[in-house]
Amino acid sequence: MPAIIETKNLTKRYGALVAVDALSLRVEQGAIYGFVGPNGAGKTTTMRMMTTLLQPTSGEAWIAGASITRDPRGVRRAIGYMPDFFGVYDDMKVWEYLDFFAACYEIPEAARKVLINDLLELVDLTHRRDDMVDTLSRGMKQRLCLARTLAHDPRILILDEPASGLDPRARIEIRELLLELSRLGKTIFFSTHILADVAEICTQVGIVEAGRLVAQGSLDEMQRRMTPHRRLHLTVLGQADTARQVLTGREGVLAVRDQETPAGSTPAPGAPLVLDIDFTGDDAGVSGLLQALVGRGVPVLHFSESVHDLEDVFMQATKGIVS
Amino acid sequence: MSGLSADAPATTPPAPAPAAPRPARAGRWRRLFASNPVVAKELRGRMRGPRAFVVLTVYLLLMSSFVTLLYVVYVASTTSVYSGTNAQLIGKFVFGAVVGIELLLVCFIAPAFTAGAISGERERQTYDLLRTTLLPAHALVLGKLASALSYILLLLVAAFPLQSLAFLLGGVAPEEVLIASGLLIATAFLFATSGIFFSSLMRRTLGSTVLTYAFALMGTLGLPLILVALVPLGSLFLNNAPPGAATETVLFYAFGALIAINPIATAVTTEVLLINQQSAFYFTVPLSNGGTLPFISPWLPFMLFCFVAGAVMTMVSILAVRRAEK
Repeated sequence: MPAIIETKNLTKRYGALVAVDALSLRVEQGAIYGFVGPNGAGKTTTMRMMTTLLQPTSGEAWIAGASITRDPRGVRRAIGYMPDFFGVYDDMKVWEYLDFFAACYEIPEAARKVLINDLLELVDLTHRRDDMVDTLSRGMKQRLCLARTLAHDPRILILDEPASGLDPRARIEIRELLLELSRLGKTIFFSTHILADVAEICTQVGIVEAGRLVAQGSLDEMQRRMTPHRRLHLTVLGQADTARQVLTGREGVLAVRDQETPAGSTPAPGAPLVLDIDFTGDDAGVSGLLQALVGRGVPVLHFSESVHDLEDVFMQATKGIVS
Repeated sequence: MSGLSADAPATTPPAPAPAAPRPARAGRWRRLFASNPVVAKELRGRMRGPRAFVVLTVYLLLMSSFVTLLYVVYVASTTSVYSGTNAQLIGKFVFGAVVGIELLLVCFIAPAFTAGAISGERERQTYDLLRTTLLPAHALVLGKLASALSYILLLLVAAFPLQSLAFLLGGVAPEEVLIASGLLIATAFLFATSGIFFSSLMRRTLGSTVLTYAFALMGTLGLPLILVALVPLGSLFLNNAPPGAATETVLFYAFGALIAINPIATAVTTEVLLINQQSAFYFTVPLSNGGTLPFISPWLPFMLFCFVAGAVMTMVSILAVRRAEK
């Protein structure tokens, strides 16, 4: 896959403080790239450099082939940028807001009317077309801002914390919208510190800490690299000892543990028991485990693998330092 | 979704190719002002709701009641001295008063419209949004300037009928009307650009407003005070030791230059010269050695000063907006 965003040793220094430290990342075309890191890790600074708002101290980046230092206009044409604040004019109607930004992107007046209706429909704000912007709810404003970033039909969306400060419903709506945009062929680069968002929609992840990119890759890749074994969960209705016996004898099984119960509580007698299994085998091996268990008459209620346990990956990758 | 086609190659909007021929003069003019999105947005915002019309109405009511008051007072005071009223004198007086008030208003209204032009975008956090669009820096700055000036122009045009009262009474020459309009527009331009200038350099509107009004106060009231202080100093200097012709020439021109960068001094001097020397363009000043010194009437250099200073400040603002943050 070709890279649509590439940064090479991108660095930003403020005096002695290094906000972004030789950051090199690659985003493939069509990816949903989650840029994850604690607050103050340099996510926003990186994005501001990528959107030509901030000059890097050194290093370079190419967005859709255009250099951020030599061809800022080419970069601006290719990206839609949503900062981590709303940036709305309070004395404007919803359609005027979109009309204004569409005009700023040099879209001819004749084409704007249809475009605005399309955009409003996409973000589900058609019914608020003639309302003043400041009467919208937070989630609606966020959707309006997303619509604004799409005015010139950019290939890349760069979104800074698109889900921050939203209620659960609004957050899910934004997430659905991002998936929809990805289906439309957009490459989406977004920063967040909410790992659940990343796990659910991202195809690529970059973890940044103290201005450095500490890990990058697809979620699966990263998980394999950071946590070398798979974690399986087995729920049985009884015969836990038999199950343990079967499991510990199998090749590839590293450890079998009872799942931790909340402190102070003892599981009710006869309640299903959950075992955590660390396993290094492949898919056939996992299937073999289940067969063996069932073959020995263990009453299996539930057997699953915990996929994308991003929190583990994140904790492994970062050390808890913030510049 | 016509505007949101999925396929990557066709996604960017039809952009003017870099090799495209330079747009015709009229086309460029239209892009800068008539179809500049900033102008449309600003005017829409400014004229929305009753505010703009209330401001205009209050402004005209105040102006007309002031003129009526002046008229009544002037007529009352002159009839007690002369046997009849001198219509021409009253005409000149009313005209001068209207222009004087407008001049003061322009000096203090023009900055109000522009002191938050750029810094306001920063505070509303829309500045970054604008700078990631294709909107060029000069379109933003000139659009803000044009929309502010157009509202000031509306106020000036709306006061024309009040100025025209003077025509009924007579005593006002067409040159005076033209020169007065020119002075007003040049002053509006100077102080509107100063607002843009400071707001593009300052992060906060508060700082920008303070500096813009400091500039306006210095320009309108500070300079006349300096002039007033200089006159006795100068005469003292001249009386004690009669200077050579060269020193005298330099002094006179320096004094003239000081007059020509102040709207009030310029307006007063121009009017005095029109009455005394019957000339709108040039005049002469006698030197102590019997020679005379030629001068241009101050409204000409003043207008030149306004447009040059305004243009320089506009250019600096554009550069400040264009520059990427370090």
